[in-house]
Amino acid sequence: MADQTTTAANPVLAQLPPSALERLQGLRETGRKGGIFTSDLSVNEFLMVREAGFEPLGLVLGSCIYHVGIQYGSWKQNQELNVISQAMYQARELAMSRMEQEALLLKADGVVGVRLEVKRLEWDTNILEFMAIGTAIAHSAGHPGFKGPKGMPFTSDLSGQDFWMLLRAGHRPLAMVMGSCVYHVAHQGVLRALGNVGRNVEITQFTQAMYDARELAMERMQHEAAEAGADGVVGVQLHEGSHNWQPHVIEFFAVGTAVKPIEDKSLIPEPASPQIVIPVND
Amino acid sequence: MSLFGRILGQGRDPDRQQHQAEQRARSQAWETALNNRTAPEFVKDRLENTKAGRLPWVSTGSVGALVAQRTHGIEPVGIVSGNCWYHYGYSWTRGHYDGWHTAIDRMQREAALLDANAVVDVQMKATRMEGTGADQMDYAVFGTAVRIAGLAPTRTPVVATVSALEFARLMESGILPVGLAIGAHFNWYYTYFNAGGFGTWWNQELTALSEFMSDVRRTALSQLASDGARMGTGVLARVQFSELLHAESSDNDPRERFLARYIAFGTAVLHEPRRHVPLGLRAVFSVKDGKMTPVVPTDEEII
Repeated sequence: MADQTTTAANPVLAQLPPSALERLQGLRETGRKGGIFTSDLSVNEFLMVREAGFEPLGLVLGSCIYHVGIQYGSWKQNQELNVISQAMYQARELAMSRMEQEALLLKADGVVGVRLEVKRLEWDTNILEFMAIGTAIAHSAGHPGFKGPKGMPFTSDLSGQDFWMLLRAGHRPLAMVMGSCVYHVAHQGVLRALGNVGRNVEITQFTQAMYDARELAMERMQHEAAEAGADGVVGVQLHEGSHNWQPHVIEFFAVGTAVKPIEDKSLIPEPASPQIVIPVND
Repeated sequence: MSLFGRILGQGRDPDRQQHQAEQRARSQAWETALNNRTAPEFVKDRLENTKAGRLPWVSTGSVGALVAQRTHGIEPVGIVSGNCWYHYGYSWTRGHYDGWHTAIDRMQREAALLDANAVVDVQMKATRMEGTGADQMDYAVFGTAVRIAGLAPTRTPVVATVSALEFARLMESGILPVGLAIGAHFNWYYTYFNAGGFGTWWNQELTALSEFMSDVRRTALSQLASDGARMGTGVLARVQFSELLHAESSDNDPRERFLARYIAFGTAVLHEPRRHVPLGLRAVFSVKDGKMTPVVPTDEEII
């Protein structure tokens, strides 16, 4: 235990739990007997998750190695490449649901800081590796009001800091929602291309393709959020990317955290009205 | 003496001979010290003089870190380091585990010679050198040994990857960073079947590969947890790396081979779950246009 001479000399030492103080004093070399958590939180995220009234339980992840099938498409046609779209969606879904299963085993209320990664593998362009990784957390007092849809752990790509702020805003995360659309942007005919030489002109065919693909991805994400019973989606990011595909093939991927107001009003922390500041040091 | 003579060290120059003798003695001192798990005399002298204040204190921390000396009694003493050049077999995963831990042990022993309680601001540096082969590298760590007012020297000082300022803030929240936890694993997967799914035309998960990769990750992460449990009650692992490699079947071996690697590094912390000291946070809104997402995009984004 913290003896009084020690803590009188340095008050900050009184804040440490006995095991930590003993370690600093060299009275013990090891951790506590019993549980350990793992996480991919930064030090500050760890502080903020605890400040929000939660404890990290463990690093959870799910992965899926997926072979993307052959897609038939027309050179001259704007169209969604539904085989690839489905592959991208299904593989992410598999990775996410496996991560959720791991969180469920830890009796978690949810998973924060979820990162969804897609990696191409050097040896086959048709094979992609999907990985979902995050930190499972549980409410310190064991309140049941933070679970996700259908009693499953919630998922969220918000950082520890954003999670704290979301609760301050009176909302809780439900599920990480996503929509994807892989689209083939039609090639222009030669005559058409020649006709545009030297002219300022919108290429409506391309405009439509990009517009349509983005629309489909966002629509799907929004529907997923509605299905989860959400009121809204925060922190939406729209990614455009190509995973080793031919030119003119592009994926639009929308991802965000579906949220709803906290039902139990006693759980809502005081709102934080920010002080406006200007830093003078950087 | 000719230039060649100089280069080949064939001179009879007494200064030169003495220099070489000194170098040999120094190498010998390092070897003996490393074998005996201690530091050579000249390192001990420097640390001793630094400890006693005969040499100035040295810190890798910013000026801001000095504030923690007045506010939290965290006093910088000197820079300590350790390294380990390690040759590994088939994969560097085990190398990382052994290499870093050996280097950290050495750094901790230096810190103990300074009567320190902790090493903060610990940085890691891996070095490969051309001409030494791809299966070996140097693992080095260095940081600032600090003394904490009110404490007697710690035999094995704690190792913190955070700065002195953050170390102070964590202590206020009842959290003590204690060390670096590593989980690393690799494995081979052999198959006569078409695990790569080559030539199939439809969407499908490659379940055998998925499971194999998951097993490697799980093993690495359980190693991370048990490595962390030696030291503390939690691991904050921001750095993770995974890789899946493929080797074609050959005449020697008709099987397909896959190599999976996974490695995770984390800061081990000692804390008491469910006992939280509130931070007394205040929300601020900065009107500085910094790295915050600007409302108007920058030219790099739109051009």
